[in-house]
Amino acid sequence: MRKVKALSIRVGVDIGGTFTDLVALRPSGAVATLKIPSTPQDYGLGIIDGLRKLSDAAGFSPGDIGDIVHATTVATNTVLEQKGARTGLVTTAGFRDILELKRLRIPVLYDLQYVKPLPMVPRHLRFEVEERLGPDGSVWRPLQEDSAQKIADQLAAADVEAVAICLLHSYANAEHELKLEEIIRERLGGDVYIARSSSILPEIREYERTSTTVVSAYVGPTVATYLDRLGASLRAADIRVPLRVVQSNGGAMSRQNAVRSPAHLLESGPAAGVIACARAASELGLDRVISLDMGGTTAKAAMIEGGKPARTTEYEVGAGINLSSKLVKGGGYAVNLPFIDVSEIGAGGGSVVSIGNEGTINVGPRSAGAVPGPACYQKGGLEPTFTDAVVALGYLNQTALAGGQLPIDASLAREAIRNHVADPLGKPAMEAAFGVFSLAAATMTRAVKAVTTFRGRDPREFTLFAFGGNGPVAAFAVARELGIQTVMVPPAPGVFSAFGLPLADIEHEMTRSMVTPCVPANSDKIYSVALELKQRGALALEADGFRPDDMEFTHLVDMRYVGQAFELTVEVPANAINVDAALDAFHAEHDRTYGHHSPDDMVEIINLRVVARGKHQSSNGGSLVHKSSPSQSGVQRTAFFGQQGMHDVPVVAREDLSSSFAGGPLIIEEYDSTCVVPPEASVRVDQRGNIEMRIDQ
Amino acid sequence: MTSNQPDPLTFEVVKHALASIGDEMALVILRSAFSPVVRDSMDYSTAVMDKNGAVVAQGLTLAVQLGSFPDVMRHLLKQYADDIHPGDLFICNDPYGAGGQHLPDIYIIKPIFVDETLEGFAATIAHHSDVGGIAPGSVAIHATDIHQEGLRLPIVKLYDQGAVSGSIMKILERNTRNPVHLLGDIRAQIAACRAGENGLTKLVRRYGAEELTGYLEELQAQAERMMRADIALIPDGVYQFTDWIDGVGEAPQRLKIQATVTVDGDHMKIDFTGTSKQVPAAINAPVAMARSSAFCAARCVGSADIPSCEGYMRAIELVVPEGTIINPNSPAACGARGVMGYRTFDAIMGALAQAVPERVVAASEGGPTLFAIGGNHNGSAYTLTEVMVGCWGARRGLDGLDGASNPAANLSNQPIELIESSYPIEIARYGFVADSGGAGEYRGGLAYVREFKLREGEATFTTRADRRDNPPYGLEGGKPGKGSINEFWRGGKATLLPTMPMCSYRLAAGDSFRHVSAGGGGFGPAKLRDVDAVLRDVLEGKVSVRAAEEEYGVSVDLSSGMIDERRTAELREA
Repeated sequence: MRKVKALSIRVGVDIGGTFTDLVALRPSGAVATLKIPSTPQDYGLGIIDGLRKLSDAAGFSPGDIGDIVHATTVATNTVLEQKGARTGLVTTAGFRDILELKRLRIPVLYDLQYVKPLPMVPRHLRFEVEERLGPDGSVWRPLQEDSAQKIADQLAAADVEAVAICLLHSYANAEHELKLEEIIRERLGGDVYIARSSSILPEIREYERTSTTVVSAYVGPTVATYLDRLGASLRAADIRVPLRVVQSNGGAMSRQNAVRSPAHLLESGPAAGVIACARAASELGLDRVISLDMGGTTAKAAMIEGGKPARTTEYEVGAGINLSSKLVKGGGYAVNLPFIDVSEIGAGGGSVVSIGNEGTINVGPRSAGAVPGPACYQKGGLEPTFTDAVVALGYLNQTALAGGQLPIDASLAREAIRNHVADPLGKPAMEAAFGVFSLAAATMTRAVKAVTTFRGRDPREFTLFAFGGNGPVAAFAVARELGIQTVMVPPAPGVFSAFGLPLADIEHEMTRSMVTPCVPANSDKIYSVALELKQRGALALEADGFRPDDMEFTHLVDMRYVGQAFELTVEVPANAINVDAALDAFHAEHDRTYGHHSPDDMVEIINLRVVARGKHQSSNGGSLVHKSSPSQSGVQRTAFFGQQGMHDVPVVAREDLSSSFAGGPLIIEEYDSTCVVPPEASVRVDQRGNIEMRIDQ
Repeated sequence: MTSNQPDPLTFEVVKHALASIGDEMALVILRSAFSPVVRDSMDYSTAVMDKNGAVVAQGLTLAVQLGSFPDVMRHLLKQYADDIHPGDLFICNDPYGAGGQHLPDIYIIKPIFVDETLEGFAATIAHHSDVGGIAPGSVAIHATDIHQEGLRLPIVKLYDQGAVSGSIMKILERNTRNPVHLLGDIRAQIAACRAGENGLTKLVRRYGAEELTGYLEELQAQAERMMRADIALIPDGVYQFTDWIDGVGEAPQRLKIQATVTVDGDHMKIDFTGTSKQVPAAINAPVAMARSSAFCAARCVGSADIPSCEGYMRAIELVVPEGTIINPNSPAACGARGVMGYRTFDAIMGALAQAVPERVVAASEGGPTLFAIGGNHNGSAYTLTEVMVGCWGARRGLDGLDGASNPAANLSNQPIELIESSYPIEIARYGFVADSGGAGEYRGGLAYVREFKLREGEATFTTRADRRDNPPYGLEGGKPGKGSINEFWRGGKATLLPTMPMCSYRLAAGDSFRHVSAGGGGFGPAKLRDVDAVLRDVLEGKVSVRAAEEEYGVSVDLSSGMIDERRTAELREA
């Protein structure tokens, strides 16, 4: 792969179900954006068309493009639509049911009608090979080659498209899996997709490793086909630049690596917004930031400390949106790869307000979608949605949304709220609308808590970064509920997520399970494993075309007190990879997360990780050159703010704000979003064009 | 809704906040706990109470445990009415006089004061890996008196106005085989209580004590209204069902749990008159367990969105006669009492099946099988406790779940690779057992087999299973699941062990213990089962060709993977 041209344009492409967002980042830092309809029959067509329009509008030629960074939902959709490959699984003899037994827990209590998701590999395609390793990688029973050959024949007869291999303790010794892969490859040929657990996730815990490997095999062929086709479309249009893909951890990877490790793409889309936010936070010198991305159907929250998004390696794909997913797993398929820890709930603009028997009220997770959409869209929707509530409250424009492109009828919003919420509850319509708004904010508050208080962090010490079409509308209420004093709204909040793409660094994560007491006697062992992982990372970056100067390494250690089941991941400075540094970091993080630590108890290391990052030369970011919409000075709208009552609120454009704080209430209308400043807040715009809102708590 | 009631929308906002507190408390324990029973099996629960001790929020963990806070709170408030101060922290585990369930379940309860006024409590209960007694794990079934079972803690103050009691800490440390685990888990429980305290304090500050009280009262009232509305949908009548426990030792005498459910309008009464007397073995369940299981069963046939607070329990009246296996008198032993809770649940399900068969589940695997093994390895002592679960009974319209925790539990398995990394034990196999699910139009869930082999040294183990002689029942013509098996293996030969052996056993290197659970009961006549569903089960190896023919009347030709239509028609007509 060739190196990205030093002074070229990086393009980010974020493909969603309805819209594709494109962002071009010039070496100078200037940015151009474009939003176009997606082309699901062939996404490549939309991208090429978009690139042409973007380059025309921004005045560069496609030849100036250095590389394209892409966020895709192809892996997730393959799982959700159950359209993955016909997959076989090979396990150690006696253990083919690990995949289906899972961890036994289910995500709901008291629901006797619960149905488990079907395993991705049915039982008759799960094969047991005669072999057994011990926890230290020692061979308890050698791999029986005749048994392996027989399984290869059975896989061939079953006509599988993909094979997952996961043997017990293979994280400690990959030899049996490698031999097995060789035998299967020889029998099934080059076309079959093979995912091997010792390569995908060499980590202890058999269910999670098996499941991760199976998910990889299941989505692998689809991801490969998709990326091959996209690459071919680009070449056909004479755009011959590297195509990179954003991983769930926020790093970018080459197309070739994406095909090898497709499960890394599962949360590609949500990761982009968090990277954009992390970069913006770093530029503003904000150490602690919560990102809140509220779109049409869901809201997503993540925590960023010191410019780095908090991560998790416990994730389930296909579990649906579940507020308690942090606690109660089992609803989906475990994928224990590095993810940005994003908590997602079903509260967006289209979320429907429903009132149950005995007075229970919900906003979402059911969505009115694009059709019929919110009642005010005039497409026949009668049920009130979040959008209807904020239209009724006077927060959104009363005649049209999306810069005038989407005409609405505000009276339909008020009618829906009155008929379905206010009248049944015996409340005035405005109070009912404000109640719905507050309730949506409360559910978003839970999402934020899931990534902050659940990790022992106090949200009051954070700045809330709100984006997505609806984030800036709801931000003040979420901030108020959490005791947050500062809210930032970046320019072009509706396409902000796509900004993260051209900023993503190339990343490889190397990991090794080594259940080892964290004592001085093991210092050498720990150091040598860390060194080996670092060298492997450097080799991978070299293959991507990076020079040593552009490489950066982060050393992470998963640790726990001996006897605990869950590890905490702590970072150890690269110049101090030793037992003491690791212990100090661990005790401090344990205390911060759980409120207690015990310096006298034995600590053990479970995994060592090295994140190898290829720094992009032009990745010093940039501020957005955003087009100003005409100022509407003099326009006022009546809006309702709960206990603070009705106010006549000036409606302004971002350009009308000055660099010194002005008092609320204020409504800032933009093409793709609306920012609401309540009476008790003040607001200004900073040099980079961010709206900064201060809320008196 | 009248105007003096709290604002319904703000009320929903408060409900979200409360649920979040319960979950956060649960997460603190999950992440930082030490004992495998707590951390991997999630055998613990968390709750927030109002100032009267009524549960207002719970963490989503062990269903059958969630109803166990009311009893302990009643005892606490009675014993300490005027002696609850800021900075206090209570600890207890005693089934007699403290509302406990069995000694390994330790409660930690923290009163929450805001501006010197009592506003509520944060409470946790966790199953500790060892609190002393005659065998490692403190759940030895052969104990005949609670004094053999370990350390008894009445309700005492572990912290008194902010000062920790060093004396109690020392007593705790000396009365367990595993002080690191026990003290680590106590610390995790205390941290969870602090998280609950922070959460509730924020709510009091946000809404004011008086307004918040209004919301909390409405929460209880709403839960009760919802539960009553669900009960009102159940046809009035008296429904009785008897389920059985195999009984203890080599020559077991079966024990009876009899549930009589009376539904009258929006009121439900559950009466256990007729249940067997307490026994001299550690399977007696203190009344808190029976109450908890009964509430859980009733909650399961109600709507899914009933708030998890105490209010719904007000719609249900319980009668649990004293001196029975589910309300024993002191000093009955109760270490391995869990089985009674699950059978209580099963008995109530069996009764309700007569009224609302579409809302119940046929009997599942019987609840957790306990297995505790201890020995010495590399010079230090170890104890491994397993709480094994596996499948559900069938439902009308749905098969029983294969590979899932008993519906009244929500326990997890422990990773094999972690066990083998920490103990000289090999898990020799873990998987489904064909033909074990009760045949039916909807098949019962499959049993699991799990085998523990000692690789080095010597070890002692105890176990407590059930459901061999009295397998999980089916409903509406569905067959029962296959019974459970306990086997001791030495030199390639198996010895059958009792389901509830009244002794511990020695293992030498190379010996193993194999447990096969019971399978779930079926629902509806097997001959009505969809032919394609039978074919799929056969192809997947979950049902044998022979069982397909004998039980389901479906003839499958394995070589072609097809159904023999003619023979099937003949079989099904017969």
